[in-house]
Parts: sequence; structure tokens; C-alpha cells
Amino acid sequence: MGRIVMRFTGVGGQGVLLAGEIFAAAKIKEGGHGVKTATFTSQVRGGPTVVDIQLDNKEIFYPYAIDGQIGFMLSVADKSYQLFKDGVAEGGTIVIEPNLVFPSDADRKKWNIVEIPIITIAKEEVGNVITQSVVALAIANTFADALDEKLLVDTMLSKVPAKVHEVNKIAYQLGKKYALEAMK
Amino acid sequence: MSELREIVSTGNELSALAGVDAGCTFFAGYPLTPSSEVMHSISDYLPKVGGTCIQMEDEIGAICAVIGAGMAGVRTMTGTSGPGMSLKAENLGLAQMAEVPLVCVNVMRGGPSTGLPTRVSQGDIAQAKTPSHGDYKSITLCAGNLAECYTETVRAFNLADRFMQPVFVLLDETIGHMHGKAMVPTVEDVKKGIVPRKIFDGAPEDYRPYGVEQDEPAVLNPMFEGYRYHFTGLHHDGKGFPTEEIETCRKLIERLFKKVEDYQDEIESNEEYLLEDADILIIGYGSSSLAVKEAVDVLRADGVKVGMFRPITLWPSPEKRMYDLGQKFKNILTVELNQGQYLEEVQRATGRLDINKLTKTNGRPFSPQDIIDKVKEVF
Repeated sequence: MGRIVMRFTGVGGQGVLLAGEIFAAAKIKEGGHGVKTATFTSQVRGGPTVVDIQLDNKEIFYPYAIDGQIGFMLSVADKSYQLFKDGVAEGGTIVIEPNLVFPSDADRKKWNIVEIPIITIAKEEVGNVITQSVVALAIANTFADALDEKLLVDTMLSKVPAKVHEVNKIAYQLGKKYALEAMK
Repeated sequence: MSELREIVSTGNELSALAGVDAGCTFFAGYPLTPSSEVMHSISDYLPKVGGTCIQMEDEIGAICAVIGAGMAGVRTMTGTSGPGMSLKAENLGLAQMAEVPLVCVNVMRGGPSTGLPTRVSQGDIAQAKTPSHGDYKSITLCAGNLAECYTETVRAFNLADRFMQPVFVLLDETIGHMHGKAMVPTVEDVKKGIVPRKIFDGAPEDYRPYGVEQDEPAVLNPMFEGYRYHFTGLHHDGKGFPTEEIETCRKLIERLFKKVEDYQDEIESNEEYLLEDADILIIGYGSSSLAVKEAVDVLRADGVKVGMFRPITLWPSPEKRMYDLGQKFKNILTVELNQGQYLEEVQRATGRLDINKLTKTNGRPFSPQDIIDKVKEVF
């Protein structure tokens, strides 16, 4: 498998950083290489945040995703979407939260834009908005076919407190379900 | 080769962990983006090993507390970013003059002043050479990957005790915050590598901490154990008392240089990547070298014979090696996230002014393509 390059964007405080760490850690656990970098503004909370994730079987030197080589992006905030969308390769997939991100018609022609109400799923179906990063994790992994599901879920569970394991498992399965439906 | 262990973490957290593994038992700091995780992490680690982490009222208080801990005889550390280095500068000079060992991690961000708090820069290279006024010889190490955030912090502690002075570890926002795999030595191997600082064990009345040979560091016994000396930032005699005696003043500053310069081989550390058959030399360090390495691989696949020299010890600079490389390579390019702070050192060491430079100071990292384009443009 070649290098998988993903980008998560949102605003600071939404928890997009953690999903990136889980991907990198899981790939390393598999014996490969994974790197996560985050870029945020000085206001941190509320400012546009971008997380780049690279997974490869070979060593990764340069830690940032290279614009034009990103095959998958997920965005839960319009200002970050507008700032970082151009890094996605033409024809690449961009999953957006349709209540918060508003792509133009030109965007829809250039990229495969998929609408999944990530925050609504976390808030209303899982019952805990904090699990949106795990919903996003599942969506990204389903679209990018990046890592073995059990490995990824086990890594995710190792990074969250035991008392929220069950709710995060539910979040993962819901994210996967919505992604599979969107891919039909 | 010694056994290595795998740690998945960030550069900042690795630096904090390395401090604890290297025997640091006291950290004082004032959280400053993008270095804050150094303090966050060590505030978690230190109490578990009986150590202390204290958040001081400001950067100046932090460096003063660390100097006190160094005088008490413990391995000690602080972490900050450029603005904090500026505030600590005066007391870093005191630690150089009084020869107090400590480790200061600087996770570089855009400057000057408050600059770009969350953005990467390598703008503190010149500052690390002489943060304060006065003459002394800085020891500055620069991590170029996650593993080195650990290994260079460990090395900094050993060098601080060996040379009895502050040692700076430069990370930058990219390396400090990037999260991935690092293969680092085991704790046992780190512990084995620790050489305790020299202690004078003669009669207390014969104790002269600064009365050492002209190429030796001071011998500072821990305070409160019966070996008394005078502690000052003024020029001082063997016992530490202020003096303006001509020869003593001359010899003191000369010794602050000679104790480092005469043993530079112990301090120097570099990486050479695909230099053997190269026609073009790129000099880069810190996180910039990650983009350089990737660019070197792409250029070589394209038939361009290019290699990289990466100083890990920035100060004192690897001047002899850079001189030799300057003789060997006609085409040289320096790559750094400032306006050419280390370029000036490369020019000095090679004795050449025809070194090309690639610089960036907008808070964004170099991409490999930036470097590829520059190489194709100038060579």
C-alpha cells in the first residue's frame, strides 16, 4: 500500500487533533510509520485548525501533507474548509458537516463532496457531542480504507477513559454506517 | 548497537521524558506556546520520581529557580520559547559566568517579540549563541527529528554537568508538536551514560571552585554541605569573590572559552545524508532538514546528485567539517526558517560568500518542493 494522506479540519476545541493521533498510533502499532501534525492559530480555541495525517509502510521524513497530494479531507467548520480545501487532489473526497460547511458548486464539480452530519450524529444519535472525533475517525477510515478496524478501535479505546469506552464504540459504528451508506 | 525502545509521542513530550530519564529532578517554568507541553508533561512525570515541577510567576523567576536548583547540585531544566529566552537572557548570562549547569529547551516560534506564537520558525539560532551580553561559549543542540528531541535532551544534561554551564536544546513548533514514532535508548542505557558532575572532596578550607586549570570548568559542590563559596555574576577569583585584578579577569573569560573550545570533539554532532557522491550540498537543521531529506530523495530519483549536511550541535559550530565541505563542494545551499542566521556561520567557516540560501520567515514550514525548486533554480 502506498502512502495515505488525510487532512482533518475544524476549529480549535472540536477534538480533531485526537483523531489524528489515533490514526498515527494505530499505524505504528501495525509496524508501519504514522505522523500527525497540527496547525492552529494563536487563538487556538475557535481558530481554524488543520491536522495532517500520513500513514506509510516506509519512513516518513516530512511531516506535513503536501498540497495536491491529499486524497481525503474531513471538515466540520466552514472557515477551515475554505482555507484548506485547495490541498485536496482533484477528484479527492471531502466529507463535510452539511450544517456547518458550505461548498460552492465549483467545489462540488472539482471534488467528491460527501455530506454527513457528523456533529448531529454525535449529539443526537450517540448522545455525546465529544464523540464527534470518533465518528470522524470511523468515516475517514471507511473512506480511505487505511487501517484494520479492530486495530484502530483498540487504539482509540486505549486513548479514552474506560467509562466512555462503550459510547465511543457506538460512535465508531455509527460513523462507519453513515460512511458506507454515503459510499453506495 | 544498544537496544532501542519505541515511543509514540510528540517532540515536546519526548524532551520532557528525556529530562526525567536523564535524572532531572527539578523543573521550573512558565508555560509558553509552543513549548507548553514540555512543562505539562514533566509536571506529570516528576512527582512520580520524587522530583518537583513548579510554575513560577514569570520566565525570569523560572530561570532563577533553575539556577538555584543547579547550585543545590541537582539536574535541572526549564522550557520556553523565544520570548521567554529574551526574558531569561540576563540570568542565563549569570549561569554562564557562575558556571551553573542547567538545561534550557527552546521550542522556537515566529519572532521577534510575540511574533507568531503557534507558527514554526528557526529565528533563535543567533540568540542561542549569545542570549545575554558578555563573552562566553554557548553549547546549543538542535533536534532534527522526534528521536532527537529525546536523545539531545539527554545529551544536554550530560554536557551541562561536564562543562558546567547552561546547555540549550532547540526544538521548533513543527518538531515540538509533531506526533509519531521515536526509537530511543532504554532508560537503563540513559542512566548508564550519566557521569555525575565533579565534586571537590578535600578539606573545605581548601575548596576553590573556580581555581581550576585553564581548560577546565568550575567544580561547584552542592550548596549547604560545608563547602562554601561566593556566588556572583561579577568577575571573580578562585573562591568566587569579586575582583578586578587584571590577570584574574583575563584568565576567567579565556577559561570560559577554552573549557569548551579545547574539547569541541566531545560536543560536535552532525548527520551526513548521501554526501559521498553528491555534487550539490544542502545544509539544513532542525525541522527544515525533514523537508531537505525528502527533497534529496526526490532530486536523486530525478538524477540530481545532492546530499545533506545537518549540524546537530549548532554551537559551537562544526567549523572544521564545514570548512572541508566548503573545499569539496562548489555548489552549496543553506536552508533555514530565518533570514540566514546560520548562513553567516557557514560563510565564516567555509571562508566563502558564494553560498546560496533559501529562507522563509512567514511562520510556514518549507515544503520539499520549495527546496527542489530552489536547487533547480540556482544550480
